[in-house]
Amino acid sequence: MALHLKDKEAYQRLNYLYQAAHCVLAQNPENVELARFYCFSQKTIAKRLVLRQDPSVKRTLCKRCCSLLIPGVTATTRQKRNKTRFTVMRCLSCGQRKTLLNNPDYCLWADR
Amino acid sequence: MAAPGKPTKKEIKKQTPAKTSFTSPFASKWSPLPQEDMHFILKTLKDKLISMGLEKKEVKVFRPWRKKKSKKPDVAPQPVPQVSDSSKNGWTDVAARRQLAIGINEVTKALERNELRLLLVCKSVKPKHMTNHLIALSTTRGVPACQVPRLSQSVSEPLGLKSVLALGFRWCSSSDGGVFTDTVDAIKLRVPTLDMAWLQGAKPEEPVAMEEEEGGERRGQKRKLESESEEVSESPSCTLQPLQVKRIVANPAKKKKGKPKKKL
Repeated sequence: MALHLKDKEAYQRLNYLYQAAHCVLAQNPENVELARFYCFSQKTIAKRLVLRQDPSVKRTLCKRCCSLLIPGVTATTRQKRNKTRFTVMRCLSCGQRKTLLNNPDYCLWADR
Repeated sequence: MAAPGKPTKKEIKKQTPAKTSFTSPFASKWSPLPQEDMHFILKTLKDKLISMGLEKKEVKVFRPWRKKKSKKPDVAPQPVPQVSDSSKNGWTDVAARRQLAIGINEVTKALERNELRLLLVCKSVKPKHMTNHLIALSTTRGVPACQVPRLSQSVSEPLGLKSVLALGFRWCSSSDGGVFTDTVDAIKLRVPTLDMAWLQGAKPEEPVAMEEEEGGERRGQKRKLESESEEVSESPSCTLQPLQVKRIVANPAKKKKGKPKKKL
């Protein structure tokens, strides 16, 4: 593919930042700021170069404050219902809610 | 570009472009549970529950103007309890109920407060993200957890509930909890360990002693900090996962909306 080279380094950088954020939180769960900075850089790089991110990655990042969400450490996960069943993830630092619908037949576009 | 004859072929190929997307290098998976262990766990649980007679009873209220919700207790052959009966709604064994955390929300809350010592999750859950968060949560606290298919089907009947997707056993300090301790220990031996790739550096230890000393919500963080100070000599090395880039080919069979294409 033509777009191999110039984005490969960017992807590697994204990958590295993502894993580094996880490691940071693994070793020091209080240090949310550094993880947030890494994720912020990751988002900015992806935005700048228009790189697509997998929903599995996007779901672990908070949209408002860009912190890495780990259920139990930086985020709360609950099941709620309002006629339909939702899984609600709440970022502990900014209180932003992320709702996921519990539809058993739903299949992501990316997985098709 | 090349000779004018060639680009036409390339154009045809490019009409279904392959998009690359950055994928998470960590795939949080449950470790596979061997069949025998699975059957053993299910059987143990079921026998235990039935012998306990722990069940949630609901009165079959006769409401002619609404759909009848019939939840007759299967185990007890009693007739439908009367309204004046004290045990009309609720669990048969309240003390035992308190030692279990039933339901995803309750299990999550208990995990956050480090109250659980064993975790069982139903595997036949769709969509999977309903229980995915439990994986990470339990590994960070060092609680053994396993996914058992058909947990919901087998456990919901004796309990009298509609569906049980997550079940947790709490820590119990006094002899009060003798009911489930043997079951828990038996199951614990069979549970395979879970690990996350990014957690290799700082592994939390079994919070046995500390659990009983402290009580409060800051347990998890305090335990991690303490275990870190012990392991300072170890160099926390998280091995870097290889880059995973997913290629997506746009679905060629997808119906495209008639976009007015302006050809200049």
